Amino acid sequence: MPSDVFSYREPSPSSRGKDGALSRMKVALQPNISVHGWPAEAGSMALKRFVALEDATVVERLRGAGAILAGSTHMSELGFGLAGDSTASAVSGDHADCALITDSMGEARVAASMTGLWALKPTYGIVSRLGLIGLVPSMECYGVVATQPRDIASVMKVIAGRDVNDFSMPDLAIPDFHLDGEKGSAVKTIAVLKDCLELLSADEAELFHSGLSRLEKAGFNLQETSVADFGLFRTVHQVVGSVEASSSAGKYDGVRYGHRASTAKNWNEMYLKSRAESFGMPVKAYLFQGAYFQFENFDAFEDACRIRARLLKAADDLMARVDAVALPTRRKGYPAEKAGTVSQVYDAFLLTLAASVTGLPALQIPGVVTDGRFDSGLQLVGRQLSDPHLLSAGARLLY
Amino acid sequence: MEYESVIGLEIHVELNCATKMFCDCPNRPGDEPNRNTCPICLWFPGAIPKFSGEALEKASMICLGLNCQIQERSAFDQKVYYYPDLPKGFQLSQAHKPLARNGWLDITGEDGKPKKLRIHHIHMEEDVAKLVHEMEGRTPISLVDFNRAGVPLVEIVTEPDMRSPHDAMEFIRALRTQIRYVGSADCSMESGTMRVDANISIRPKGTDQMNTKVEVKNMNSIRHLGDAITYEIQRQIACLQGGEPIVLHTRLWDPEKKVTTAMRGKFSGPCVPDPAVAQILVSQAWLNEMQARLPEMPARKAERFIRQFGLTREEAVMMSAERDLSEYAEAVINQGIKPKTATHWLATQFLPALRERRQTIADTTVKPDRFAGLLSMLERDEINANAAREILNQLFERDESPAALVEKAGVRQISDATALEGLVEKILEANPSAVADFRNGVAKAMGFLIGQAMQASGGKANPKLIREILTNKMGV
Repeated sequence: MPSDVFSYREPSPSSRGKDGALSRMKVALQPNISVHGWPAEAGSMALKRFVALEDATVVERLRGAGAILAGSTHMSELGFGLAGDSTASAVSGDHADCALITDSMGEARVAASMTGLWALKPTYGIVSRLGLIGLVPSMECYGVVATQPRDIASVMKVIAGRDVNDFSMPDLAIPDFHLDGEKGSAVKTIAVLKDCLELLSADEAELFHSGLSRLEKAGFNLQETSVADFGLFRTVHQVVGSVEASSSAGKYDGVRYGHRASTAKNWNEMYLKSRAESFGMPVKAYLFQGAYFQFENFDAFEDACRIRARLLKAADDLMARVDAVALPTRRKGYPAEKAGTVSQVYDAFLLTLAASVTGLPALQIPGVVTDGRFDSGLQLVGRQLSDPHLLSAGARLLY
Repeated sequence: MEYESVIGLEIHVELNCATKMFCDCPNRPGDEPNRNTCPICLWFPGAIPKFSGEALEKASMICLGLNCQIQERSAFDQKVYYYPDLPKGFQLSQAHKPLARNGWLDITGEDGKPKKLRIHHIHMEEDVAKLVHEMEGRTPISLVDFNRAGVPLVEIVTEPDMRSPHDAMEFIRALRTQIRYVGSADCSMESGTMRVDANISIRPKGTDQMNTKVEVKNMNSIRHLGDAITYEIQRQIACLQGGEPIVLHTRLWDPEKKVTTAMRGKFSGPCVPDPAVAQILVSQAWLNEMQARLPEMPARKAERFIRQFGLTREEAVMMSAERDLSEYAEAVINQGIKPKTATHWLATQFLPALRERRQTIADTTVKPDRFAGLLSMLERDEINANAAREILNQLFERDESPAALVEKAGVRQISDATALEGLVEKILEANPSAVADFRNGVAKAMGFLIGQAMQASGGKANPKLIREILTNKMGV
């Protein structure tokens, strides 16, 4: 039953779901999304043989709208980075129409850019996280990956919205995901950040500029501008993300579920050995970094939280002047699928971190920033709750 | 050198909410192990805590009862440490932004004067699981019971204002009274629904320096709290006199040996803001609603009892110390019983009778109207005190009215003067020497004669009337 693409598929999957907004749409899921009765190992020994007890809220809503659960894919350990992730290829290989990839630092967007697909990382907090086995609660979202923006909008219309059982959801007015020209033309001015351009190699910059000229041709106004401390998004993400990961992974003790060390002299050793054997690299290094900030350098964590608040303010100020920000999605020479250390992971996701830190929506668009051989992807980061506007504006580039 | 002690308390109080703090599981830690659990309180992957509104309300009522200021914004942090009773690796607690600050309670100091003791803050937190260590054959095994995991608690942290075991014990008594009044918790140190840790340091008397403190835990009664503090003060003085420095650590009270023993270094782990539990914003309207729910508190009630019922301060304080008792007493008085009679009979007869039967005011069948019925017969001289005591006992056993029980027992008092006069005549005739003694000024002869008359009436005569008739007949 397992294949290169799927780690689990139902023995006799229903060929069609019930009637609804997503009838006949096949959705691939990462195995960190709870589906009642399905393995939910999240790519980790820490959850070995763990089977989900309940449907995640999004799964319940997908089923309710008639979607077919195509199966769960392979994923990186606990969704940190993209090493070993097969989710996007479920869509590009035509095994599914759409996929959900946990996006904590840009995983859904980068995976889509690697496979020529569209991806939306929605505004933080408009989709319930109940049943998502995550690592970084304040940044993680379900990224929706598909071949066209219309499918993303259809899925978002179903999964977005308040969940009375997810008390962590902020009180936000859920936007209307019906795509139309009016929403698309609301995005007029797009900022290009000098601070970002400076990070790019000459090669990457040239590629990006070719994409920008296509944006201009499509009628968008480009505005070169600057945002203070752009370089700090990475630091803030790494400090806050690692601390949250360290806390989130604390529950993997090998007692109630997951891998338990077979030989240990006493309980303390059992915990230590089980955890040591449960985590691989680079997650283990990431958890150590988080524990370091928790136990040895809490001031740095508090600084990072303060800087995060400042970056949010800077992003708000920028979004008051422009309708979106354009960034490449991924970098050339920093392959996310091969990143084996924490630094390499952060290098590969350098350009997607800003939207994760700020919680702003970001749309990955294929086929725009490309020379025919390498597509770095175009990323449009929009205002909070402007998700449908981004999708409508992106659709303009199709024609 | 003369030393004085500086004492602060940290008090954990288990709230009597219906559910746990972050899930809908019943708040019944004593049930069959791991019965009251769910993916949230077992911290299964994918679970998200659901903060309980009832816990917030009950905790807030405690804050108001302890004169604290509820903060407009409070938030949960993760208190990070790893232990088998806390298998998610952190405890949700309000470390940085507590629910309330700046409270106080009045106690009576050792010198008899009122003393105000301040409360630094009150925060909410979840309880951890319970570990059970057993033997499976010859192999020691450790089991985890999650019924207690996630049970709602408040922690009350005082200022170091206490100077003696007396202060600490009085503070806990006052705190318990206030919290029971607002109805948020049972506060039993014996059963563990209230746990008191004491932070103790000593300094030369008259100075205001703050020296290294030692934390003492595991006292399961107010008396043990006093004993543990007394012991710890003596231990620290002996250390200093022996040239041994005091180091920051935690000690366990051993109630058998009556000593404290070193346990571990005091916890000082990180407290990270929790990214999943929403911050709590309190509106003025909500706060007003909580204020309105606050009952009349004991100090104010005692003042009213003095004013309204003419009780002495001592009586009023006693009658208002427990909410149940105060409401019971007031209900009895409202049935027309003289406040003094009600207070006296509650304290000397009713409460001992309750204790003897291991009943509480809440569960006894002797409701205020039945007790008041009995006392009103006493006040109307329909029965005498002896008969009243006997009928009170029967009230506990039988579900009948006091009047019916009095009739059945045949103890209705004879207050008919003509009937009693004949009886007295006979007694005087039968006891000439006692009559002579009385006339010669031996006062106790009167007591003897009354006793004889009471006996002859089968205990039913009205003793006051007997005395009057005797006095008349003997012509004094």
